[in-house]
Amino acid sequence: MSGDVHERARMLIACGEQEPWLSEHLDSCAACREFAIGTERTARALRAIPITAGWDLVSTTQMRVRQRARELQLRQERLAAIWICCAAVTLMAGLTVAALWSGLAWLGGRISLAAPVWQMSFVLFSLLPTIVTAILLLARGTHLADREEV
Amino acid sequence: MADENTAIAHGLRRRDPDLLDRLIEQYQHRLLRYLIHLTGRREQAEDLFQETWIRVLERGSQYDGRRDFTSWLFTIARNLAIDNSRRRQPEPAEDLDAPETSAPSAFDLTARREQAERIDRGMQHLPAEYREALALRFQEEMPLEEIARVIGAPLGTVKSRIYRGLSALEPWLKGAGP
Repeated sequence: MSGDVHERARMLIACGEQEPWLSEHLDSCAACREFAIGTERTARALRAIPITAGWDLVSTTQMRVRQRARELQLRQERLAAIWICCAAVTLMAGLTVAALWSGLAWLGGRISLAAPVWQMSFVLFSLLPTIVTAILLLARGTHLADREEV
Repeated sequence: MADENTAIAHGLRRRDPDLLDRLIEQYQHRLLRYLIHLTGRREQAEDLFQETWIRVLERGSQYDGRRDFTSWLFTIARNLAIDNSRRRQPEPAEDLDAPETSAPSAFDLTARREQAERIDRGMQHLPAEYREALALRFQEEMPLEEIARVIGAPLGTVKSRIYRGLSALEPWLKGAGP
């Protein structure tokens, strides 16, 4: 018998696998039989190692998991609110743009304004909220913010 | 088993706190034991135990119930342990907690316990990958294919680690370990 056969037999024993020739080999090879007995003993000994989690660890983990679950729940609710706001803003913006365009077109027609003029007014009206917000943001750190802090 | 996994998957998707409480209790010893064998340190294993369950909560929606929950859980624990060991500076390994002792009632019980203690000491001298393979094979009694999935290695590597780990434990089994 070559060393390869013993190696293969021991690998099968270690992995708990069966092949038809293995039991025959074990009958004739004392060293592999001893390895099989040793493996069984080691497996039993490994199962007998008493490692247990303390109650403290379990309860602390449960508490942390519940706390994290609450945080995630809050975050999810906040995200849902943001999505609803975004959807509402998009809808309102769409409606406003359409109404503003029609209104300015009508007004331009009534007072006989050239199309580029009322269209420029439309652009200005559309950009107005952005311009105001930009001014307010740029004003942070200036007297506006100082007054708030006071 | 498949029904149980599906129920767990549904519960995890809802982040059901009662389900998580039950799972933490159900897997407490097995997960901690695996982490101790993986890290070699109880204190670190306990930190990872908590982190693992937080991760289970956060990534629960990724578990679809088609795979066995145990191996999914152990894969999460393993990945966390690897991330953790990459972040940490190498420290000298500490001894595992001494096994609990109880009054011996019979000779064979004492002999078995002594053997378990010897093997436990032997495990601490093994490289982490052998410890892990042996723990999954003999303590968790996982099929080889599951072990391969948990540790993300080919089946041949798993078999080889188990074989080499067992061979390395032989001196301790015979009471001749250092």
